[in-house]
Amino acid sequence: MIGNGSSTNGRSIALEIDGYHLRVPAGSTILEACRSAGIEVPTLCFDPRLAPYGSCRICLVGVEGARWPMAACVTPAADGMRVDTRAPDAVGAARRVLRLIVSQLPERALDLPEQRSELVRVCERLGVAAPDFGTAYESRGFDFSHPYVKLDRDLCIACARCVRMCDEVQGTFALTLASRGYSTMVVPGTGAPWNQSDCVACGGCVSSCPTGALSEPGLLDLRPTEPAVTTTCGYCGVGCSLDVHVRDGQVASITPTLEGATINRGHTCVKGRFAHGFVRAGDRLTRPLIRRGDHLEETTWGEAVGHVAAELHRIVDSYGSDAVAGIASSRATNEENYLFQKFLRAGIGTHNVDNCARLCHAPSAAGLVASLGHAGATNPFDDVDRSDCILLAGSNATEGHPVAGARIKQRVLAGARLIVVDPRRIELAEYADVHLMARAGTNVAVFNGLAHVLLADGYADAAYLDQRVDGLEDLRAVLASYTPEAVEEISGVPAADLRRAAALYGEARYATICYGLGITEHAHGTDGVRTLANLALLTGRIGTERGGGVNPLRGQNNVQGASDMGALPDLLPGYQKLADDAAVARFEQAWGVELKRQRGLRIPEMFDAAIEGGVKALWVMGEDIRQTDPDVNHVDAALDACELIVSQEIFLSRTAERADVVFPAAAFLEKDGTFVNLDRRFQRVRPALRPPGEARSDFEIVALVAHAMGIDLGLASPAAALEECARLTPTFAGISHERLDREGLLVWPCRSPQDPGERRLYSSAFGTPSGRAQLHAKHYLPPGESADEEYPFTLITGRRLEHYNAGTMTRRTPNAVLVDRELLEVHPDDAERLGVCDGAQVRLTSRRGSIQLTSWVTDRVNRGELFMAFHFPEAAANDLTSGATDEVTGCPEYKVTAVHLAAVAAEPPREPVGAGSGTRGGA
Amino acid sequence: VSTPREPIVEYERRFDRPGTQVLQRLRAIRDERGQITGGDVDVVAGALGLPRAHVYGAVTFFEELGLRRRGARHVQVCAGTACFAASGGRHIPAVERELGLSRGGCAPDGSVSLQPVYCLGYCYGGPSALDNEQACAGPDLVDQLAGRAPRRDPDIPAYSAVEQPVLLAGILDGEPSWKAWPEVVGGGRPDDVTEMVIASGLRGRGGAGFPVGHKWRSAASAATPGPRYIIVNGDEGDPGSYIDRLLLQRDPHRVLEGAALAGYAARATQGYIYVRSEYPAARDALQAALRDARAAGHLGRDVHGSGVDFDVEIVEGAGSYVAGEETSLIHSMEGLRGGTLARPPFPTTQGLFNYPTVVNNVESVATVPWIVEHGGASYAALGYGDEHGQRLVCVNAGFERPGVYEVPLGVRIGHILEDHAGGLKDGRRLRSVQIGGPLGGFLGADKLDLPLSGPALVKEGVSLGHASLLGFDDTIPGRAIMRHLWRFAAAESCGTCSPCRIGSRRGLEYSRRGDVAELEELCETLTETSLCAFGSGVAQAVRSVMRVYADEFASEAVPS
Repeated sequence: MIGNGSSTNGRSIALEIDGYHLRVPAGSTILEACRSAGIEVPTLCFDPRLAPYGSCRICLVGVEGARWPMAACVTPAADGMRVDTRAPDAVGAARRVLRLIVSQLPERALDLPEQRSELVRVCERLGVAAPDFGTAYESRGFDFSHPYVKLDRDLCIACARCVRMCDEVQGTFALTLASRGYSTMVVPGTGAPWNQSDCVACGGCVSSCPTGALSEPGLLDLRPTEPAVTTTCGYCGVGCSLDVHVRDGQVASITPTLEGATINRGHTCVKGRFAHGFVRAGDRLTRPLIRRGDHLEETTWGEAVGHVAAELHRIVDSYGSDAVAGIASSRATNEENYLFQKFLRAGIGTHNVDNCARLCHAPSAAGLVASLGHAGATNPFDDVDRSDCILLAGSNATEGHPVAGARIKQRVLAGARLIVVDPRRIELAEYADVHLMARAGTNVAVFNGLAHVLLADGYADAAYLDQRVDGLEDLRAVLASYTPEAVEEISGVPAADLRRAAALYGEARYATICYGLGITEHAHGTDGVRTLANLALLTGRIGTERGGGVNPLRGQNNVQGASDMGALPDLLPGYQKLADDAAVARFEQAWGVELKRQRGLRIPEMFDAAIEGGVKALWVMGEDIRQTDPDVNHVDAALDACELIVSQEIFLSRTAERADVVFPAAAFLEKDGTFVNLDRRFQRVRPALRPPGEARSDFEIVALVAHAMGIDLGLASPAAALEECARLTPTFAGISHERLDREGLLVWPCRSPQDPGERRLYSSAFGTPSGRAQLHAKHYLPPGESADEEYPFTLITGRRLEHYNAGTMTRRTPNAVLVDRELLEVHPDDAERLGVCDGAQVRLTSRRGSIQLTSWVTDRVNRGELFMAFHFPEAAANDLTSGATDEVTGCPEYKVTAVHLAAVAAEPPREPVGAGSGTRGGA
Repeated sequence: VSTPREPIVEYERRFDRPGTQVLQRLRAIRDERGQITGGDVDVVAGALGLPRAHVYGAVTFFEELGLRRRGARHVQVCAGTACFAASGGRHIPAVERELGLSRGGCAPDGSVSLQPVYCLGYCYGGPSALDNEQACAGPDLVDQLAGRAPRRDPDIPAYSAVEQPVLLAGILDGEPSWKAWPEVVGGGRPDDVTEMVIASGLRGRGGAGFPVGHKWRSAASAATPGPRYIIVNGDEGDPGSYIDRLLLQRDPHRVLEGAALAGYAARATQGYIYVRSEYPAARDALQAALRDARAAGHLGRDVHGSGVDFDVEIVEGAGSYVAGEETSLIHSMEGLRGGTLARPPFPTTQGLFNYPTVVNNVESVATVPWIVEHGGASYAALGYGDEHGQRLVCVNAGFERPGVYEVPLGVRIGHILEDHAGGLKDGRRLRSVQIGGPLGGFLGADKLDLPLSGPALVKEGVSLGHASLLGFDDTIPGRAIMRHLWRFAAAESCGTCSPCRIGSRRGLEYSRRGDVAELEELCETLTETSLCAFGSGVAQAVRSVMRVYADEFASEAVPS
């Protein structure tokens, strides 16, 4: 059994509260029973996100037969119990306790606006005014050291909600109550200032604090904010539901949505919660820019749009429609992506549209479709909570998908087994029962090795394989040579660890696989996905009650949606194939055009084609290809060769700098539309702010250019765009803005307005034409580039918690104070051999480029491997990365680059930056 | 439906973190360097694989750890109730003057520091102090500390007031231990032991009085899979009580054997004995006994070839009264702050590291070997009236013959104090008796006909608690006792629940200014709303003082 959660066994109990006869699940507390009936009981230490604690003693109620009032939050409701929440004894006792609590506080504790202080609200309700105890007030001071989390110790009532949020929800264990008795209060870390603690600034403590003792910069200003706007986070693919609080046209605060936030359940990370300052950064683009000679100048919308329209006409007329290519955006809304691909397909007449899923999860789409049928997660993320074994592969979830990572961590604390497949000792590896620290690029061998053991040791589900899966015999033949010992040779993973991992996964009652870009961004990334899916198929863990399937943790906020919307060169919206006559006919009829049956160019192919002269116009909607795409020299050559480069951006990115026209775009906080998250949920995106200056949404920009070209896209609004998409795409048929506003979220496939959506796929049949899943017999093949004598190290790239992708947004927020530069992770043995001190400057050189950055000597990486993120332009990882791509999808091999490392002499090393700095992860 | 949850405990359990070593490691650093710093916390947390914030939380919780500097010579002077009664509270200022330090102070050169602590268990011969780990006790305490008088560490006087001692059989009659265990572990059944103890009527001696056998049964049969633990609670924090110190120090084998039998009955394979740090000699004696018991094959793997594993680890406390409460005790064993928790869940279903855990008092387990040897019925036959069995009471130095007495339950209190202990020394007049420690309460001298019986005493608004009996003569005013109680409450409140966290401080303030009306309202709040028995116990004791010294408080009803 896992955890200590109570089991209700479906039983219910009957009790009476304030004269109402109620029936509640057995195991409910009195408070839960009250709330289920809409009976309000004042509380201070209670937070529905947390387990009951019972320390404030405010939620006192009268219980018949009990000698004293009972604390409703920790008293189990019992059959036949009679509760009176208004019993004078209980209310009087609560009032006396509240007076005691207030007696410790300064008067300003009650000056807060009631919306921001549960204490103020409870005081109003119980009629307790300012301190009247006449005792000397002792100030304990402030800690404003952290850029986001601000502590006013004098307002702390030691309710431990902050500590419990940190422990129970975030799992960082960064806070504690310190001292005892009257002096008890919250302290971060070991008593040093907050910014030196292990706090990862998820903001959970701030959002739970009932008194304002913990606050944030925008809320230190006590003036009221406008009613909150609920939207979906624009950072990673988790899709957290957020409430945006605006004052004076600025974001005062972003807090987790508390009601109905099904994916994040009131939790957030440092990016979604706090990193919003970029929206009003001084260098936001507010007017269109046009190239005049070698520089960009501000211009009017009329000129910018007219120029783009005229140039596109000229290029199509001169070179044909396939001389135009567009890169859509996984950051933009579904509606914008839909409109963009429609513009290119129906307006220009080309399938040259792709989105940056190409650079991350295209292998997921290809691999999952080939194995299972649909290009998305098989199960809701919530199934992690049902799992007694989680296999996490190629995902540093606590940094890349912090809210998802935190949930995995809590599940592991409660007892679930964890298998981590990752070349680095990431935070969750510290929590793993087995960490398969495979050499970068050897995933397929590792997964084949696991599959070998699953088959050899009798963990395969023969009946399931027989009834639902094809390809077993071919797989068996390939797996024969992947003995654990052979796999150890290839991957460096000890054979015994492979066996243990397979046994854990095989024996589990309910096992779930989550994976990330460490699986896909490889020369054989699609094979990685397919061989990973093999494990779940062999053991019958997809579409059954024995497991939570195979789930990609999608990288960007709408990388799922951009692909769902057909911003792909070979697929129409909803992954409808160009070979599917009926589907193509549907679009042709609706759009009044004839569609080509030949697929268009993928992103890397667009660059190649530009260099070769085939592509003349490149329109980039909200992506900084000069920082995020591999082998930037190659990208530059492509841009040099184009006659028209259009960029839609919120800042003058490296890509925008090279454009002929730059359109100032709206950020996600200024947009109307929808995103699709990592478990296929459509969720609403609502504008909380107006775009600055003349900036416009990407939707409007595309529409304006289309209009100027005389193209009628016929979609007046984002809602209309999604409506059309749903009409033409059976799997989205039931999805609309109107329904989302009513129901909060919808999961695809959602085939009709009545369809609640299919949260768990494949319970009866797989999505393949045959309805059966396909095992894939794939041999391990070496990565596109391997370390050699000249370039003896393997560089792995990825993300840091505090920053996001190109860093365009996060570097313009105080996140840049938390992490101000990129650090290259180097194993201590390698560092010693090369004379590299922690914090010293190093030079990193690949066959394509060379950069200098600061080292971080740490055993988070294996010997011979290095790691860095790509968030900082001054440490541009993608100056180094190779042009090798996944042979199926063209996804670049960001995870394996052969490099040479050398110490840079003559500069004194800065102070050590090693682990324990708190913001760099670690247990 | 949500239930209480402690992820830090889940973390320790899930990753086998040695939480029980936290206090020990921190103490070692403090002993070596005199002070624990944030850097030390990092080192200990790193070595044990625990989050540093939680280790820091523990450091700041326990009186003996803390961040305060400690001298090479560290004097812990007893501020307990018996020493307070013995000197009228004057010995602490005298020690302060002698050492040139105030409470909690440390000499600038780090040579000496002074810390008042709540009870060293020398209530029969105080006032007392621990000079590093050397005990000194007696009316000439200050001279002893100054080297002007020979140091005295008097033994605990122990007397039998029964025909056949159960608990003092070893101490008084040399009755050997380990007679029952080899036979039980070799051929008995755990349930037989449980049933025997249920039949004996043995109730917990720590204060709550829960039937011991039933507690074992619920742990043994809890639905939670995994190991079970037994913890012997030797955190005898009640100022005025030294019963556990006697048993641990003078007959540790009886405690170990009782722990083994209790653990066997509860199906535990690991036992812990938690000894408060104020009892260094008891800890040493217990450690020696543990080594001997292991050597004799009574403990360890495959005990006496039975296939049963059972071993014991000694965990030393770090200075917290509330740590004697079972949820707090478990927290401190996990290396965490000793805050209390709402129950349910009870430790028998979710205790140490979230596994089913029996927490038994030292005296409770020390009774078990006799019961197993003689049968439950024999034990049940002891005692008077509705009360079954015998227990130890202790009497403070104010009496002619202070010491620990084994008495039948239900005996008249006056019989113990007058006939056995000989009444107050020097013909002093008894004004009140504090019973059951700081949470027990005060009886007027006119109430000595009451029986030594939990239910009977509850009717009088006091509790038997751990059965200490402290006599106060008529020279000590009720308001001084009142302030003493509140000082204790303010110093020892764990701070988890708001009424006690803040109320304990307010009570001290009100008692200083004699605000009886506020005190009465505060007691009502503490009684009705406290999370654990500490807050309500303090209120009970305070009310009993107001009752017994009603004449005095009536004259002070107007705040000065």
